[in-house]
Amino acid sequence: MKKTVSMLLATLAAATLLTACGKKAEAPAAAAPAAAQAIVIGLDDNFPPMGFRDDKGELVGFDIDLAREAGKRIGVEVQFKPIDWSAKEAELSGKRVDVLWNGLTITEERKANILFTTPYLENHQIIVVTDKSPITSKAQLAGKVVGVQDGSSAVDAIQKDGDTAKAIKEIKKFGDNVTALMDLSAGRLDALVVDEVVGRYYTGKKPGEYRVLEDNFGTEDYGVGTRKDDTALMAKLQKAMDEMKADGTAATISTQWFGKDIVKK
Amino acid sequence: MSYLLDILSPLLQGTLVTLQVFLLTMLLAVPLGLGLALLRLSRRAWLGRLVSGYVWLMRGTPLMLQMLFIYFALPFVPVIGIRLPDFPAAILAFTLNYAAYFAEIFRAGIQSVDRGQYEASKVLGLSYVQTMRRIVLPQMVKRILPPMSNETITLIKDTSLIYVLAMNDLLRAARGIVQRDFTTSPFVVAAAFYLLMTLVLTWAFQRMEKKVAVYD
Repeated sequence: MKKTVSMLLATLAAATLLTACGKKAEAPAAAAPAAAQAIVIGLDDNFPPMGFRDDKGELVGFDIDLAREAGKRIGVEVQFKPIDWSAKEAELSGKRVDVLWNGLTITEERKANILFTTPYLENHQIIVVTDKSPITSKAQLAGKVVGVQDGSSAVDAIQKDGDTAKAIKEIKKFGDNVTALMDLSAGRLDALVVDEVVGRYYTGKKPGEYRVLEDNFGTEDYGVGTRKDDTALMAKLQKAMDEMKADGTAATISTQWFGKDIVKK
Repeated sequence: MSYLLDILSPLLQGTLVTLQVFLLTMLLAVPLGLGLALLRLSRRAWLGRLVSGYVWLMRGTPLMLQMLFIYFALPFVPVIGIRLPDFPAAILAFTLNYAAYFAEIFRAGIQSVDRGQYEASKVLGLSYVQTMRRIVLPQMVKRILPPMSNETITLIKDTSLIYVLAMNDLLRAARGIVQRDFTTSPFVVAAAFYLLMTLVLTWAFQRMEKKVAVYD
């Protein structure tokens, strides 16, 4: 008995070590991007419909398709690395990823550390409430508890709207938008501010449960980000992006995921 | 029902990651913990103090912070700066942290062995190594099994902390499906998986306890 147990443990441990090594081999670190043949794209792999996992665990999404196409045009292999979205700046500056491509909003604060392409998608910060909620306008958020995804640009969008921000009772930050929506349904949250592309995806999943207000917290642009000093890579990305917009490839991918062409020319 | 089958495959993949972190941590942290316990009880007082400091550091800061430090801050530390990929970084953090807890359990086990046993060993002419291997450690094993079982079960659930490095363990895989499909049922399935794993662990420790009980 003792022997079988220890043998079993040894086999399991060996298998674990092997698979662990195998994993390492297929995801090399994002070092020396200028000379490397592969670029590593950091993304939140739980961010539908921009980037998420399908039934088979494969990464799919609008940004995934766009990034793959861009990689083809630049002539480099594209590797996707899931990251914790609130640590994206550290992942980028620590050279664990070369590119941030996942519904990344261009903000002045982020421009200090990140180099952006020109915008490829226009996005609104929409306000989602439950269908039964009495809230119908932004002004009615006064004294209410409003949820956002931590590290998302919704936080900045609310702060920019000084008067509303001051009137809001509390801004609750969630790890992801789904937990925030659940909190909304549970009644502990009065409203959620979220990227339109993502918010529409979720509210579409549960028709009749949520309502999107006509007011919003402004319009912003999605861009692709690299390290500040990585201008060579940025030039290539920008060129590929311009080509995809010009020849209609970006529009085709957009229609696949959103049902219409919402790419910003 | 067919939905459950659909989500089973990513959850099983996640379980594999959870088990890998668990097994590798156990494999590395148990020997390291034993070594630390022996150093702590060594006659050289400075060694004992050094180990006490280590245990204080590892138990005194959150495991998640240690993991974030090893992953994000270590590359920028001068001289020892090293950029570990996510899996080794997680294993290193878990091993260093759990070794500290194991060391304390082992120390308690060793110290619970009566002094008379050491004296008897000396009379029989056994060396320190022989005394430890044949007399003290076998008795220690018997006494530390219940606290070890506690710590081991905690470990299998603590592995879910690797989500901060965006590694897809069982819980993060479940969360991914929750976020894709906007339904909470994957959480229930994940809970069942964790319960199953702790059931196996509980059973294994009970068996071991029974086995060593023959010396009573």
